Amino acid sequence: MKRAAVLFFASILLTSFAIQAGAQESIKVGIILPITGDKAKFGEIEKKSFEMALEEINAAGGINGKKLEFIFEDDTGRPDVARSAAEKLITKDKVVMLGGGYGSSETFAISGVAQQNRIPFLVATGSDDKITEQKWDYIFRLNPPASEYPQALESFLREVAKPKTAAILYENTNFGSSSSRSFQADCDRIGIKVLMNEGYEHGGVDFKPLLVKVKQANPDLVYMVSYVMDAALLMRQSMELQLTPKLFVGGGAGFTLPEFQKNAGKAAENVFSASLWYQTLPYPGAKEYYEKFLKKYGSETEYHGAEAYASATVIADTLKRAKSPSREDVREALAATDIKTVFGPVKFISYDKKTNQNKLPTYLVQWIGGNLELVWPKELASKPFVFPIDWEKVWK
Amino acid sequence: MKSINWPTILVIAVLALFPAVVPSDYYRHIFIIALMWVVIGSAWNLLAGYTGQVSFGHAIFFGTGAYTAGLCVTKLEISAWWGMLLGGPVALVVGLLIGWICFRLRGPYFALATIAVGEIFRLIATVWRDFTEGMEGILIIQTFRSKIPYYYLALFLAALCITVIYLVTRSKWGFYFVAIREDQDAAESMGISAFRYKSLSLMISSFFTGLAGAFYMNYMGFIDPQVVFSLHYISIMAILVGIIGGVGTIWGPPVGAFIMVLLQETFRSSFFGLLPKWISEAHILVFGLLVIFVIRYMANGIIGDWSKIQRLWSKDRELLSASGRN
Repeated sequence: MKRAAVLFFASILLTSFAIQAGAQESIKVGIILPITGDKAKFGEIEKKSFEMALEEINAAGGINGKKLEFIFEDDTGRPDVARSAAEKLITKDKVVMLGGGYGSSETFAISGVAQQNRIPFLVATGSDDKITEQKWDYIFRLNPPASEYPQALESFLREVAKPKTAAILYENTNFGSSSSRSFQADCDRIGIKVLMNEGYEHGGVDFKPLLVKVKQANPDLVYMVSYVMDAALLMRQSMELQLTPKLFVGGGAGFTLPEFQKNAGKAAENVFSASLWYQTLPYPGAKEYYEKFLKKYGSETEYHGAEAYASATVIADTLKRAKSPSREDVREALAATDIKTVFGPVKFISYDKKTNQNKLPTYLVQWIGGNLELVWPKELASKPFVFPIDWEKVWK
Repeated sequence: MKSINWPTILVIAVLALFPAVVPSDYYRHIFIIALMWVVIGSAWNLLAGYTGQVSFGHAIFFGTGAYTAGLCVTKLEISAWWGMLLGGPVALVVGLLIGWICFRLRGPYFALATIAVGEIFRLIATVWRDFTEGMEGILIIQTFRSKIPYYYLALFLAALCITVIYLVTRSKWGFYFVAIREDQDAAESMGISAFRYKSLSLMISSFFTGLAGAFYMNYMGFIDPQVVFSLHYISIMAILVGIIGGVGTIWGPPVGAFIMVLLQETFRSSFFGLLPKWISEAHILVFGLLVIFVIRYMANGIIGDWSKIQRLWSKDRELLSASGRN
């Protein structure tokens, strides 16, 4: 019995020797995304965008003549796995910097590793406010923090919808929980009474008990923070229950993916969502990126993809400007970033409690006629918003 | 232990020298996680393998230990290392309370009750945002950048856990545990208080699992309810570690822990990047196949059925040498 154990331990020790890394030619950057698991849909759209950007960067001469290489690692949507992935990239692959970071918890875990190892990490999506509030000098964030997602929504509510009451439903994840907290604060500020603020277990299939509660509360606004499957189910079941507030608003994430519309069908119609990007925005390359993505992969892209594409642009720009590929030089170059990307201008500043945070306006989108349209701010809108909404007609 | 136990010494020596020989932090990390699972698996095994009380809720103790360490930082504003002292005892108290409720039930009913209690703990930790930070989780910055202190701490915990369990199983308590496992009613008729000894077994088990949880908080630096109270990733994993290695053996869970952790990482990284990426998506499938294989062909686990494996080997060799002679 004990000999078994000895044999066993000796053999794993040997195999760990046997596996060693090969030669190093290109400049390596580690990208951590959820490629499998619940959040895989987002990881997929981001990975495709990273890959597309990489092809273009290398076709245009790479990084000062050297080839840029992205090493993708799957965090499976779990923070502990994300941490292992980050450690592997840093210590085994010897990447010069990290990118990606989808879920807030995973991004948080990666940030801890990156800061400790002094490896610059450019966050693409992970949006919990706390990530850039730790005074971590190696962590930079491209996307706005979760608390700023509903900024455009706020002015829309004030000027157009003017709801008096709201119900907040959120998926019990880091992103859901922190978003609901900040939206509650927004409501308090603009004088909307929050009738209920409830979390639900993600990955559920029956949201009717929750939605019946919402129906009884009868709010003017239903605000939902959900990833993709839950978002579609919530809307489909709202339609079945004939839950008819003045408006449904999604807090980003699941509500802007093409899959949301596919899964929810007509229940997706006229649903609003906070968004960080839209292809018709006056950013250089935004429209081209959208069309190229559509042509290459045969599906639409949205703000998550744009974040990833812009991340790749920023990474390439940083590495081109860095004096050497050392961590300190890369960090300095990243901190000095000041470029225009498809996602908007990128410049890392410190404000409020945040450091190294890119500040961008946010938008409100709406599903109109099966397409995602930018509706607010008005001057940038791709289509006029549909409001008030006659649910009976929409859901017929 | 009359004669010097060479194999054990060799295992300890190999593991003690490992970080010195392998300079990669990545492999050290995998070994640290494996050693942590040695603790959890062995602790689970004392309760399930030796005492016959199959728990599907070891995440309760793991999570309690982890949160004890985490709350030291967020609520008491002291170092998470205090959790290493407090995590075990707090988990032990929780274990005592759970045993007091759940040991009224036997066999599968006990197992079901532990699932339920585990989920209750996870939900409480999720919903009670003011106390636990809910799903936003608790993040700390680790004390050491180097893996080496964590490695030796994990090794120490694993050695401590295995030693304690070894001693317990060879003491009077250990025999009472086995007696309860084999036939609780017969054991009671011999004057063994089943409730008392099951509780004792659970206390030791929960203490070590809590200790592993506190270690996890200190080492990983981030916890949330879905990570540390997870039915799938903690409670079930503890069972798999036990089943694959061998239930009711001292060396089963340690071997099971290394197999499970290495297998998981090998698949997640698509055989360290040597094979195409889609392999990584098959890791859950491989776990399933492995469990089916072990249950079908080695019901006592790799260590439990080691003699069987050896026999197969030697039979093969005999056959080979026999055919060679002809």
